Amino acid sequence: MSEFNFKPQETSTLWKRWQLNSQKFPNRDAIIHWVAGEEPVRITFKNIIDTAKQFSIKIKEHGIKPGEVCATIIRHNQFFYPLYLGISRTGALPAVLAFPNPRLHPDKFRQGLEGMAKRSGLDYILTERELEPLIKPLIEKPGSTIKAIYFPLEWDISGEINSTIDNEVEETATKIKDSDPVLLQHSSGTTGLQKPVVLSHRAILNHVKNLGGALKISENDKVASWLPLYHDFGLIAAFHIPLAYGIPLVQIDPFQWVLAPVILLEAITKEKATLSFSPNFAYNVLSEKIDEEELEGIDLSSMRMIVNAAEPIRHDSHEKFLHRFTKYGFPSTALGCLYGMAEVTLGATLTEPGKLIPEISVDRNELSRGVMKLADNDSVVRVCVSSGRPIGECDLKIVDENRKDIQDGLVGEVAVTSISMFDGYRNYPEKTAEVVEDKWYFSGDYGFRWQGEYYIIGRKKDIIIVAGKNIYPEDIEDVMNQVDGVIPGRTIAFGEEDVDMGTEFVSVIAETKVETDEEKNKVRMNILKAGMSIDIVVHKVYLVPPRWLIKSSSGKPSRKANKERIIDKKDSQVWSR
Amino acid sequence: MISSELKQVILKQLNLDDFDLQDETTAPEVPGWDSLNHINIVLAVEAHFKVKFKSYELLRLKCVGDFQKLVDSKLQK
Repeated sequence: MSEFNFKPQETSTLWKRWQLNSQKFPNRDAIIHWVAGEEPVRITFKNIIDTAKQFSIKIKEHGIKPGEVCATIIRHNQFFYPLYLGISRTGALPAVLAFPNPRLHPDKFRQGLEGMAKRSGLDYILTERELEPLIKPLIEKPGSTIKAIYFPLEWDISGEINSTIDNEVEETATKIKDSDPVLLQHSSGTTGLQKPVVLSHRAILNHVKNLGGALKISENDKVASWLPLYHDFGLIAAFHIPLAYGIPLVQIDPFQWVLAPVILLEAITKEKATLSFSPNFAYNVLSEKIDEEELEGIDLSSMRMIVNAAEPIRHDSHEKFLHRFTKYGFPSTALGCLYGMAEVTLGATLTEPGKLIPEISVDRNELSRGVMKLADNDSVVRVCVSSGRPIGECDLKIVDENRKDIQDGLVGEVAVTSISMFDGYRNYPEKTAEVVEDKWYFSGDYGFRWQGEYYIIGRKKDIIIVAGKNIYPEDIEDVMNQVDGVIPGRTIAFGEEDVDMGTEFVSVIAETKVETDEEKNKVRMNILKAGMSIDIVVHKVYLVPPRWLIKSSSGKPSRKANKERIIDKKDSQVWSR
Repeated sequence: MISSELKQVILKQLNLDDFDLQDETTAPEVPGWDSLNHINIVLAVEAHFKVKFKSYELLRLKCVGDFQKLVDSKLQK
């Protein structure tokens, strides 16, 4: 079947697009809600709209108004999808947040949610009853910006539709303009420093067209994904694009996938899925952490593309994946890469579907000096994997520290401009001003362009990316500075390469006055527990004596300098474990 | 009750000297036992006891006691 000719102008809003799809393909599966070991729940395009209408009526009855933000904190549930659509129908903005891990300390969860509520302007929390004791004190607190907490999974949506309210909601829906905001997503996942990005209907619809076009989506396509929907990669690529195109999404529970990664392969096999999306670490997990016996009957020959994004792309991870799964029918041309960020809705570049990903072997030392030089016999080689070329109505450039264009082959900061660009961080003009200039978004990522392909090789910012999740070192350092045995203000957190898992792990350097091995082990355990309280696993702890950490010009310990010092040199003063 | 053998395999994988693992202990209560490390713990336990777990068996585990029972069932204790 031929590719879709997606026309964003056909509908002014996403709700209208979803309604159009329910009329065009009423009996086609929109969502195949996957639960391991059970028959999947199939929700057709007609079903999802009908149930969404029921939810939208309840939302209106609860007093939620157009433009207000509804944060949803709900685990893998078949009613999540129509709820999300129902919120959109009323003109309110869904913001999908992660369900808290049990290790996260209740106070830290509340602090994070409170900070997010103030910064992002969350008006309502739509969640499960289990979180009521955690969240209610926040709402009852004087000055709270959160108006109420609701439990939509308990709402009775089985009865007849109240046509009076339904008409009122529909009237509201018809008045929504394409330039109106449709959702709020966060550019990173940790609790203290999220940057809220509001996107309009037009931005999403244009992105659906441009990224969907780059993916060459056809009516034969079916997406299988385990990505959480609080992550932009999951929400936009796996959820919004298929829903707007009118193709099915097989949605797997992220918590189940990480415990039993074979579920994704089973879903692809049973549903003959053609598209999937995963951060780099998933390629290592799928390649190396599944027993051969479990792969009996797996057939990946339906796959047209699995797209790697959300963390640095590693050549070795792709090699491992092909080595393991070629014999299960996975085509080598079905590996793909994407580079992007929430600020441009999601994608900026994509490799060409159906073609091998361009890779180049470069001289590692020259690259660290900012020059891409093809490797020769004397080189220490680094294989760079292309993230592709700009998708439609999106442009990229590589710039120097003064934001001036630099030539191909030189390493600089990646800047992006797109028709699907955000309008700035919500309630955060000073942060917006730092990163946006003349309609260009300056990403803080380092890369180079070569023969029209973009290669992303590092980051200006100190952000740590573990399994596709962005973590700010400041969040970790804040809690480490309160740890018993650590000198306050004298810690740094950074990411180290996790070769086994194809991602990064979190390391902490802390100054301490304790001297014995026993005392140092106690301090280490305190550091590990402090990390747990904010749902961060600290993998490696380095303890150093007072005044060991190198300061930056601002007077604070320098992450970059201290990371290099601790990794490159053997220092007898450093205790690590 | 958790055998000292299973406890040692788990603690070694987590790089911990000691931790009070009880039947009812859950992964989020143990430093370092996140979802990524869980995969490696399972592989370490499989290698140590020379057993194989099925993914669906692992999905049913709620606490360390369940893990012990699963190991015991494989060893036919």
